[in-house]
Amino acid sequence: MTNDRPLSIPVILGTTRKGRMSAHAARFIVGQIEKRNRVTSELIDISKLPMPIDDAGEGIKDPAFSEKMAMADALVIVTPEYNHSFPGLLKHILDSCLKEYIHKAAGIVGVSAGPFGGVRAIQDFLPVMRELGLVNIFWDVNFGNVVKVFDESGRLLDQAFMGRVDKFLNELIWMAKTLRYGRDKIALES
Amino acid sequence: MASQKSKMICPKCGAEMNHHADKLVDPVTPEDRKHFNYTLGGMIEEMHCCPGCGAVASRKEE
Repeated sequence: MTNDRPLSIPVILGTTRKGRMSAHAARFIVGQIEKRNRVTSELIDISKLPMPIDDAGEGIKDPAFSEKMAMADALVIVTPEYNHSFPGLLKHILDSCLKEYIHKAAGIVGVSAGPFGGVRAIQDFLPVMRELGLVNIFWDVNFGNVVKVFDESGRLLDQAFMGRVDKFLNELIWMAKTLRYGRDKIALES
Repeated sequence: MASQKSKMICPKCGAEMNHHADKLVDPVTPEDRKHFNYTLGGMIEEMHCCPGCGAVASRKEE
């Protein structure tokens, strides 16, 4: 039996803040993924997920989110930079799953109002992703000075990001295909 | 340390799953402590993937 279903690459919008510009970045990435052949995507907005704060970890697992993570081949995580790191609620949600992520590709998109495009948030995020079993790619997308990158309606103003996102997705899809092959076909040495 | 040899069966499509990863995790419940591996300092959660439908599943190593 072979697994020939299209690749699934959901995009997680990792902030609940009102007026978040990261939403424009996340929607843009979903649109670019959907242009790829045999790749599906959807926006997962963490503000729309049930998020109890009287428990943590797998104790707050949402069945619908869990199913989407289980069937994903790769993740794109769009994170703003808040006080030099990623939002706590993003980690609260990600911590609710584990087996769903193992040996799956992940790419991070940083967003900031300032010039650095979330690089400090991304650096903070890498050890978390590793512990979750995700395999990070070496391309990031950095939407610095984000109010100049998208207008208020979410229209892309800086066309340089078309090429940057293209390179990011090329590597992410390669990694997703490779890791799917490994998960399906290559057994752990024993 | 993949000592559990029986194949997991996919809960969605019934295919044999592929054991592709082991993760060392901390025991939480009294039941978990039965699976504690003193050599490794935790318990092993085996990660399995279905080559048929892509579903994932895990189980504690015996």
